[in-house]
Amino acid sequence: MLSAAGRDDGARLQTRGKAGIITRMTKRTIAGQRAAALVLVSALAFIGGSFAGEPLTLDPSISPTDLTGNIQVWGWNIAAASLEKLVPPFNDIYPRVIVHVNMTGAYLQSRFLLSLSAGVGAPDVSQLQLAEAARYSRTRRLTDLTPVARKYEKDFPASFWKNCVFEGRIHAIPWDMGPCAVFYKRDLFRRYQIDPASIETWDDYIGAGRLLLERSGGQTKMLQLSTGNMEGLFEILLQQNAGQMFDDEGRIAINSPQAVRVMSVIQRILEAGINANITPYSHASYASMKSDLVATYPTAAWFGGTIKDYAPETKGDWGVFRLPAMERGGLRTSNLGGSVLVIPDQCSQKAAAWAFIDYTLCTREAQIEQYRNFDLFPAFLPIHGDPFFDEPDPFYGGQKVRRLFSQDIERIPPLNRTKDWFEALRYLTQSLSKWATNGMGPPEEFLAQLEDKLSRRLGRDIAPQAHLEGS
Amino acid sequence: MSSVAARRNSLRSRIWRHRHFYLFISPFFVLFGIFGLYPLLFSFYLSFARWDGLTELTWAGLGNFAALVHDEVFFTSLWNTFAIGVLYVPPMFIGAFVFAIILNTTWLKFRAFFRAAFFMPVVTPMVVVAIVFILLYGQEAGLINYLAARMGFQPIPWLVSEQWSKPAIALLLVWRWTGYNMVLMLAGLQGISNEYYEAARIEGAGAFQRMWHITLPLMRPIFIFCSIMSLIGTVYMFDEVFVLTQGGPGTSSTNFGLYLFNVSFVDFKFGYASCMAYTVAFFVFITSLFILRLRRSELT
Repeated sequence: MLSAAGRDDGARLQTRGKAGIITRMTKRTIAGQRAAALVLVSALAFIGGSFAGEPLTLDPSISPTDLTGNIQVWGWNIAAASLEKLVPPFNDIYPRVIVHVNMTGAYLQSRFLLSLSAGVGAPDVSQLQLAEAARYSRTRRLTDLTPVARKYEKDFPASFWKNCVFEGRIHAIPWDMGPCAVFYKRDLFRRYQIDPASIETWDDYIGAGRLLLERSGGQTKMLQLSTGNMEGLFEILLQQNAGQMFDDEGRIAINSPQAVRVMSVIQRILEAGINANITPYSHASYASMKSDLVATYPTAAWFGGTIKDYAPETKGDWGVFRLPAMERGGLRTSNLGGSVLVIPDQCSQKAAAWAFIDYTLCTREAQIEQYRNFDLFPAFLPIHGDPFFDEPDPFYGGQKVRRLFSQDIERIPPLNRTKDWFEALRYLTQSLSKWATNGMGPPEEFLAQLEDKLSRRLGRDIAPQAHLEGS
Repeated sequence: MSSVAARRNSLRSRIWRHRHFYLFISPFFVLFGIFGLYPLLFSFYLSFARWDGLTELTWAGLGNFAALVHDEVFFTSLWNTFAIGVLYVPPMFIGAFVFAIILNTTWLKFRAFFRAAFFMPVVTPMVVVAIVFILLYGQEAGLINYLAARMGFQPIPWLVSEQWSKPAIALLLVWRWTGYNMVLMLAGLQGISNEYYEAARIEGAGAFQRMWHITLPLMRPIFIFCSIMSLIGTVYMFDEVFVLTQGGPGTSSTNFGLYLFNVSFVDFKFGYASCMAYTVAFFVFITSLFILRLRRSELT
């Protein structure tokens, strides 16, 4: 808040009679702050050059035991932990490649983009969110993995692979995906006599929420949904209903019948008052996993890893039921999140970096270990038929949740991502918050305004209506 | 013609003659040039361009400024900045002044302890402060709402409603910066000679009159200094908002500093961010000049 210059000069205030001091200090403070804010930008201009790296090819004469390297890997929380755990088995095959996993995930994206821009400082391997892959691959500062990765195209869901390819070149390898279902607390459902099997549609879900609220005397809410952070649920519902933010040509496609249905579900949830107004990933949110405040979490498979991490003592208390459909017989899954691994073009040890990605993302044992230990649902399809998926998981009271999550994933409609996806998502979050605060106007009106805002802010055209109805 | 050349020659020769001295003072100028002047000029240039730091820079002319005029989030952020300022500055000033007066009295014991205690929030790392305040502010399980519920009040959705996010931030700011301003004001109070008060007492002035006619007028330079620091602090405020609400819910607590950060280091729109920063810096500069002009007329 107050500048450092201001703090240092506190003692000199005794000389307050001298008129010049404030003028000088103010100017200096302003200049100092402006300089601090912009020095980074200028640094980029100094050293940022253009990169057009060669596609990665491997020397077949080097065997895994001969390959040497010392690589840095960036990732966040459970994902990074999961990679770290894979280093010893990786070293069984590649004994001379040293791997350091850097787990500080805070503002990883910004730091990563700045390193790409500066041309130095990037790790050898980095995790990125799937939705960001488009933004990074178009910078051409990621290694072109096409020659070594082309063989894996059939091994990943097409909707995921699409986000890793830019102008026909592969720049990222899918890691985990986020098939959605509803995590619920068994004891609460038992106590208030609600049968999870009876919940098939979002109407059923809201009905169950009402019962829960009534039978618990208002103590237990069905879900956590903060009006300031509704984009996650919106995205889940939009993808479940084959809606889009952007059409195939990158035009704004949010004002669609699918999105109207999404809005109506959110509106009914809020009107029923079955949501606890808790910010996701906040302390209150983590605390809610251990209390009776919230009964269910409609979200992606990786959330299981978060529960295990923050509330290990709740083992056995959790169950999972499939995501409610819009109408009976409708699709009962969706996707939220998921990540990829990439190699920045500035990496000097690409063969070692690729060996690590190849092992962790494209082998059966590594993928199964990651799912077993950290609930990272593998995007690597060849293992989905594995008996491992039918093993009961004691954390969920012996339920075979892996099979449940893997059901129908090939039917999840793809969601188009653009380089400004997260910016668009932020406008969506802001608009939803305002909509909920101002008494929830008609969804059609809301979407028309949002469409207009996105078009203006992102400088994109609005998709023709006819196109939307056909999609 | 020849005289000009002669003068130039003599300047050059004078510089050459004093080259060692210039060499000694050069580090500042070199560093300032690289880290101060160059960014300032480059970001001014960027205000007329579009650049994400990675792909080609393109000239935008006045495009960024035109976009700024239609940017509702920008105006919301300015409004929020103003609103947060109005919410926290007056209570902070009053609190700081009252505490400074109390600490300046002769009868108070443990003065050093109180002074340190009030200054503590300034030196506490913001992340720690934020975690504590998030725990206090929680709607469902926060300490404040827990106490409010025990006393029969409705819970306040501090951080999760658009109405309460600004007061929540303002409250944190009051807590955090009152001590800092108090120290400044205390220094000011101690600088007022006791003779004025003695003379006033002899003349029969009461406590209120002494405050009104001696303390307040003599404290004016300190008040103005604190106001300017608060103005700048409010406009460029970032960490409090960033860790407490991230500008949400919606844009209800997005202030200028946070919006600038989002545009530059989340969206990577350096051109637009520079344009925004320059526009606001211009107005801050004008306002500061205005406040100083007020003060100058005061003194003369």
